[in-house]
Formats: sequence, structure tokens, C-alpha cells
Amino acid sequence: MRALPVFLAVTVWVAPALCVAQSASATSRPYDTLPDWSGVWSMVGGTVFDRATQTGQGGAISVGVRSHPPYNAEWEAIYQSHLERRDKNLFPDTISNCGVPAGFPRHFNLPDPYEFVVRPEQVWVLTENGPNVLRIYTDGRKHLEDQWATYTGDSVGHWEGDTLVFTTVALKGFRDKDVILDRTGLVLSDQSHATTRIRKTDPKTIQVEMTIEDPRALTKPWVVTKQFQKMPAGTRVYDYGCAENNRNPADVDTGKTLILGPDGKPLNK
Amino acid sequence: MKTHALLRTLAIAASLAIGVPLSAHHSNAGFSTDKVIELTGTIKEFQFTNPHTWIQVIVEDAKGAKVEWSIEWGSPNSLGRQGIRPSTFPPGAKVTIRLRPMLTGAPAGGFVGAKFEDGKIVGRWE
Repeated sequence: MRALPVFLAVTVWVAPALCVAQSASATSRPYDTLPDWSGVWSMVGGTVFDRATQTGQGGAISVGVRSHPPYNAEWEAIYQSHLERRDKNLFPDTISNCGVPAGFPRHFNLPDPYEFVVRPEQVWVLTENGPNVLRIYTDGRKHLEDQWATYTGDSVGHWEGDTLVFTTVALKGFRDKDVILDRTGLVLSDQSHATTRIRKTDPKTIQVEMTIEDPRALTKPWVVTKQFQKMPAGTRVYDYGCAENNRNPADVDTGKTLILGPDGKPLNK
Repeated sequence: MKTHALLRTLAIAASLAIGVPLSAHHSNAGFSTDKVIELTGTIKEFQFTNPHTWIQVIVEDAKGAKVEWSIEWGSPNSLGRQGIRPSTFPPGAKVTIRLRPMLTGAPAGGFVGAKFEDGKIVGRWE
């Protein structure tokens, strides 16, 4: 008689849990078969998002510097307007006022350390700057059909050998004017999505190749590759409390980046 | 201790100033990209905080008035990984600092380098 409650408990509570676990493990790879992406990494080069198509000399805030994504005429005009404001120091970085994530695909275009945490059911890409977290589910789940748009979107993927392949959907893009790709003023629409391939090309290099599609803004897929190099062993990663002492907020009216004096008042309003 | 102010423009190669990786957090805030000035004063405070650090220096101007300068540097995280600490700029220390000044003439700028009375150098001092 005492066996019946135990049987029922197993049937009602444990069995469904096992089914979920089996469902996940059916596509998750065990730890010992996963690549070693441990350590701390930093992006190679400056923060011009598509350096392969960059024209102009300098960095993203330098006058005349731009990338050349396959924009349609409407979005090329939007980019041109951003470039003109950038040249006048009036195009604000959306993360300068602290509080919002960098978003995708800018997640792979940040200064400061990165960590690539590989687990059987998820991969986490952590950035000190921000900080930001990109979660990539590798447990076999699918994108939700009714997923609402967010800064970083929804990423699910799988392993092809030692290459992580994942798709990212449900992105806000520039819909609310608070996600950019870099400080030249590159932006995408809320119809953007991407397929990304990450692999370790040598012991000190991780390569991230993004194929970005955007039926509203782009005329064809846009492939952007970023490299990350391993930082010295023992490198520490720290807090990045953006709001701790932010003396460079963007003026909400003009877009101008302010410098606050010791009294908290702008020195360059 | 009387604070002596020395403010002069240094002719430097444009390549020295352009591309200085100061602004990991924000867009161009109006610092000069083609000139560096040098000033001498007394450290008031080293704000070793995110997203950027700030060196507050009291400098005596030409009329003898004491002016507080705000000199922006990198994040404490990146600087900390390079050996910089909150104690690097101790309050009360006399220091000569080179910076890229604000274009508006306001008492602020981007840090380039510093030299203390004992000869210790922080940053670039070529």
C-alpha cells in the first residue's frame, strides 16, 4: 500500500520533469564535448561596426568616418542624417545616459573585456562594458512565435562541430531610437534579425560572423565579422556601474554630449 | 603651499592626440584633438569611478584665483588592469598635468599624462 503514493508521486511530479530534462539533453552537448572558450577576451580594433567597409580616417566619432551597409535609399538617408549630426557632435550614444543595454548586434562591438561562457544548455556572452548579457539557448528550444521585441532579442542555436550557430530575432532596432550599432550612427529596423557563427580560429582568437538581414532597411544580407583576442591569463573583470558617476550624459534636447563640472552643472551646454 | 599655475600650449603631432581611447562611454564631448596644454596644481580628488575616472585639480589662474579643473581619464576597470589605483593621485599632491582642453575654454579636458614633484610619471610624458 505504501508503494502506491510513491508511484503516483513519481508519475505526477518526477516523470514530467524527466521528460523536460530528456528533451533538453536530446540536443544539448555534454560539457566534455564542448569547445574551451574560457578566459577573458577583447575585441580587436575600434568600434566602427563594419570596419571592412569603413571609409574615412579615425574612429567612430571622427568626422567623415562611416561604414557602407547595403542600405536601401530610405535607410541610407537616415544614416546620412546621423552622420551629419555625428560630425557636429550632436549624435548621442544611446548608452551614455546609462540604464539600457547595448542591444544586438552592438553586443559584439564594445570595448573592454568579454567572456564566452559555454554550457551544455546555454552559451552566455558577457561584456564588462554595460554590463550586458547575451544568452544563446542550445537546449533545442525554438523562438517564441509571439516573442516581443527587446534590445538584445531572443537567440537560439546549436553546435556544428566546434562552431556555435544561432539566430537572433525579436529586436527593437532603432524603433524607439535607443539602439545603435556604433557612434557613426549606424542603425537597423525592428525587422532586423541575424544568423551568427562563433568559433575559435586559433588558441588566442574567437571569431564572430554575423549575417544580418533587415527587409525594411537592407537590400541584401549584410555580413560583418568581429575578432576577439585572448587577454593575459589572470585578467580580472569588474563592475561597470554606469550610473556611479556619469559626468557625460547626453543632452536630451540637442543630443550633445555634456561634460558636468564638479558642481554637477554642464561645462559645455 | 602656494599653487603655481603654468598654462601653455604644446605643439604636438596631431597623431598624438587623435584616436586617444578616452571615450569608451560617450561620444565626442568637445575636447581638442590637435593640442595639449600643461598646467600645475594640487590634487583635490581622484574620482576612481565608472564609467570614467576624473582627476580634480586646483589650479591658480593668472589673476591668482583658484580654479578647479576636471580632467577625464579612462574607466577605473581598464586603468586598474594597467596598475592605476585610487591612490595614484593622492589629495594634496602637487602635480603637473598635460591634457587635451575643452574647445569652449571651460576648465576641463582629457587626460594625457602627469608628472609629480618626485619625478614619478603617470600616463604619457614624451
